[in-house]
Amino acid sequence: MSYGVVLDLVERVAAAARGTTVAVPLHGGTDAALLETVAAWCAHSGNELVEIRDNTAIVRRGRSPDPLAELAPEQLPGTRLWIYTNFDCNLACDYCCVRSSPQTARRALGVDRVRRLATEAVEAGVSELLLTGGEPFLLPDLDDLVAACTTALPTTLLTNGMLFRGSRLERLRRMDSSRLTLQISLDSANPGLHDQHRGAGTWQRAVAGIRTAHAEGFRVRVAATLQSEHIVELTEFHTFLDSIDIARDDQVIRPLAHRGVADSGLELTRESLIPEVTITADGVYWHPVGADHADQLVTPVIFPLREAITEVRRRFTEYRARENAAAQWFPCA
Amino acid sequence: MSTPLIIGSVAYTPNVVPIWEGIREYFSSGPAEMDFVLFSNYGRQVDALLEGTIDIAWNTNLAWVRTVAQTRGACRALAMRDTDTVFRTMFVARTGSELGGLEQLKGRRLALGSQDSAQAAILPIHFLSHAGLGADDVDLLRINSDVGKHGDTGRSELDALRAVLDERADAAAIGINTWEAIGRDELMPGAFEVFWVSPTYSHCNFTALSGLPSERTDPWVRQLLEMDWDNPEHRPILEMEGLRRWVPPQLDGYTSLFEAVREQGIGARW
Repeated sequence: MSYGVVLDLVERVAAAARGTTVAVPLHGGTDAALLETVAAWCAHSGNELVEIRDNTAIVRRGRSPDPLAELAPEQLPGTRLWIYTNFDCNLACDYCCVRSSPQTARRALGVDRVRRLATEAVEAGVSELLLTGGEPFLLPDLDDLVAACTTALPTTLLTNGMLFRGSRLERLRRMDSSRLTLQISLDSANPGLHDQHRGAGTWQRAVAGIRTAHAEGFRVRVAATLQSEHIVELTEFHTFLDSIDIARDDQVIRPLAHRGVADSGLELTRESLIPEVTITADGVYWHPVGADHADQLVTPVIFPLREAITEVRRRFTEYRARENAAAQWFPCA
Repeated sequence: MSTPLIIGSVAYTPNVVPIWEGIREYFSSGPAEMDFVLFSNYGRQVDALLEGTIDIAWNTNLAWVRTVAQTRGACRALAMRDTDTVFRTMFVARTGSELGGLEQLKGRRLALGSQDSAQAAILPIHFLSHAGLGADDVDLLRINSDVGKHGDTGRSELDALRAVLDERADAAAIGINTWEAIGRDELMPGAFEVFWVSPTYSHCNFTALSGLPSERTDPWVRQLLEMDWDNPEHRPILEMEGLRRWVPPQLDGYTSLFEAVREQGIGARW
């Protein structure tokens, strides 16, 4: 074995700034004993062996920071739990990130699984549930499903707000307005932009839905999905939302994601997204924006929920560590 | 608000910056604010201390001896790391060398570190002398890298160990910190063994001139000694600086170095 590698490690790592990585050539080859020695030295000295490649040990001075500790408390994966109740929808928005439409298969989670999720969410330390779709108000048992959630945790229900009539309005009235916030989609201060993406007449019905929800005593949050060129046109939109009594903190503007049927928007990958644990009938996903895409499937096994959250956190830590190492070691030759 | 104390330190690694920024932050919430100035070598730092550019110098043991010599004792040590009170020099050879003590180095080749390193050059010569070995009795391989930093980088000691591995030397004298850094004899079984360990001696300390009023230094020292290994905000600083707690200085631990400097005729301006 080449003993010199330990001396090289001491010298090169000692000269590196804390948190940076250095490449230490392994002149003695990469036999198992040598690699074991490199790993043992890193463990002994409190430094991190990032990887071995091309007869070189990549070592970080000190330990990499815990990516989870760097997140704001509300960003910690598993603090909020997204639940896709179903994927079918009465609309076919041209930017829908999960390709929902009237023709989309329902793929409902069902009240039993949602109830179990809500129970396990409490045990796993989740502080808020968010129900989305598809359009949840298409479900005949939505009130039971929402009750299972609001009994356990404060809950937000995402909807297009267009179906608050007849039996569906009755279901809405059976929901606990003290524990449930309705998040209604509205993209503009007037019908133009909204209807362009969502269909003629949808703006009027969404605004009517907001008024109905308010009248029924619900807190309403409005969420707009905007392309980057429309982000600058927000003043009029905020003024309109003020006029229909949407609190500023409840006026959410989110950029368009290039996902689902959207033909433009932000490119979002697991590596670039802080995860928000998302459950669908198909399994556990990285983030609600990618809940219809295989690349964001974490595991098809939903239960136990605590293990799913642990796995998402583990992968997030792994991705961040890999990105940090790549950012600091970019050989050109 | 009182004028901050200015602390000098030698930048022997890029990590000196986060260490001192952390220490400055620690003192910012107390009664003894401080700032720091970095130097490229201990000679400049001690000059700055004598000129009053800095109030306190984070000195090696040789820089302390040099300050005492140039001020004729008109200086005082304020505090040191716990690890500074138990420093040692280790004499190492290849495993199986059958060297059993310093006297057996007679006629052999000994690799030393930088000439201004107390642990890897000055004190080893002193220890050899006490073992009855003079300058002509041992074939010395001197490796003078990073001179001016008093051996802080450890590079010359690693080169001394490489000389032993390459059979250019029969033994090397290194500080216990370097011995610990290579994992002692545990990570490289069959590579090195220690055949003589020096008595403990003192290493670094915070040095101030006698003219700096104790009303200024006492609150600073009090707060320094309160740094707590179990406090998660303090721990990273202590880990990076290589200690578990700050302690009052142990001046007896400098006796051997004062003797060595005198014996070897090392100038006051090193």
